[in-house]
Amino acid sequence: MMAAVAIMSVTLFVACAFFVIAAGSQAVLHYFEGRPQLNAYFKSDVIPTPQQVESIKSKLIATGLTEKIRYISKEDAFDIYKNLNKQDPLLLEAVTPGMLPASIETSAKNPADLKSIAETLRLEPGIDDVRFEEDVVINLTRWTNSLRTIGVVFVGTHVFITFLVILLIVGLKVANRKDEISVMQLMGASMGYIAAPFVWEGITYGIIGAVIAWGTVYLIILYSMGFLLTLLAGIPILPPPIVFMFQVLGGTTLLGMIIGAIGGWLAVIRFLK
Amino acid sequence: MITAQGLTKKFGEVVALENITFQVDDGEFVFLTGKSGSGKTTLIRLFLRDLLPSLGTLEINGVDIVKIKSNKLPTFRRDIGVVFQDFKLLNDRNVLENVSLPLMFRGINSSNILSSTKAALEMVDLWDKAQLFPAQLSGGETQRVAIARSIVARPKLLLADEPTGNLDPATAKLILKLLREVHSELKTTVIMATHNADLVNHSSLRVITLDKGKLTRDNQKGKYEE
Repeated sequence: MMAAVAIMSVTLFVACAFFVIAAGSQAVLHYFEGRPQLNAYFKSDVIPTPQQVESIKSKLIATGLTEKIRYISKEDAFDIYKNLNKQDPLLLEAVTPGMLPASIETSAKNPADLKSIAETLRLEPGIDDVRFEEDVVINLTRWTNSLRTIGVVFVGTHVFITFLVILLIVGLKVANRKDEISVMQLMGASMGYIAAPFVWEGITYGIIGAVIAWGTVYLIILYSMGFLLTLLAGIPILPPPIVFMFQVLGGTTLLGMIIGAIGGWLAVIRFLK
Repeated sequence: MITAQGLTKKFGEVVALENITFQVDDGEFVFLTGKSGSGKTTLIRLFLRDLLPSLGTLEINGVDIVKIKSNKLPTFRRDIGVVFQDFKLLNDRNVLENVSLPLMFRGINSSNILSSTKAALEMVDLWDKAQLFPAQLSGGETQRVAIARSIVARPKLLLADEPTGNLDPATAKLILKLLREVHSELKTTVIMATHNADLVNHSSLRVITLDKGKLTRDNQKGKYEE
């Protein structure tokens, strides 16, 4: 029984950890996607007219590639600057509203289109510089997709090995009770009746393994919270919401129960055949 | 009704039963006799559809055993009670649980299970030992539990494979008496395999004799003859 619980715990730990990392990466990606991805700065001596701003907005909308467009005037930029540096009076004194450029913030429906949007904006008169976080979003998307693929392969391999171990362990128990099973069969026991205790045994391994795996993952997250907060540099995804963690527990338990039940059932079927 | 027609069973080159033909009517009590290796157990296993015939047909209550699909096999077997020579009780369950097993396989509710199990155990005079485990019983008591288990669901057919084989003569007579009571009270068809000549000769019941896999005698009110 210890071996079955151990292998189940390892597999579910891997599955649980991959899921949490994938969900975390997805949250980071959403965070970056939700921020303005592209800033087009006007020359600092240019104050664009409302008509000019509307014309640029219309051109951007016409491309069909943009999600959100926002004009930041020199005054708005100064307010943002003040808000960001309110703890540092020296920095506040050094800058006046006239020094900061007006800008247009926009985000793309698809991060791959940022380059094309930037080209459109660079052609506009008065625009001095265009900056965008194409690499961050594209790299994060790539990382998230890779993580999912690696996770599916890694977890799939572990699930397969666990199936084999459960099949072997429950199979040994079935073999130990072969006389009893034969008598039950001759007395008219259905396959379901015979298989039920072994399936429940597999499910029990799954539940115990899931709780151990989830608890370990949660403890690791809590233990590494300080390090992770530094690593994520203010990206607000920690601590993980308790509801999310209970959803992870539910999913892990369900996965464990399915692996255990199918393993137990196959062990009996293999013997009865 | 049981009808065997040209029934043959081979295990590789070994012929266990050869061209057996007979009929057993509903409610009959039949002894199946013969030396060890004559084919009695093979025939019992065919009745249970634990084996399939190599040739010929075997119909039980109008059902050709070859045509029973594997998912219907449990239902077919629930109409048959079996008593094994080595009892085959489940050692980790007490007498009550052992006897109630066939009812549990049928999905009967627990109150009916208890009343039917009690009736079966009272019939074999073992209700007072319902909470004991097989290891705590004598050989005769264990066989009586096995009989209670075989009749608890009131099967149409009761098969007893050498049920007295491991018992002393007095207990063997008691077991036969019990099987005859079951037969007369429940009107169950009983086929009892035995090579106990003394038991057979005192009973004046139908005797089917096998020898080296062949049916050699079928005496309607016969004696044990080898």
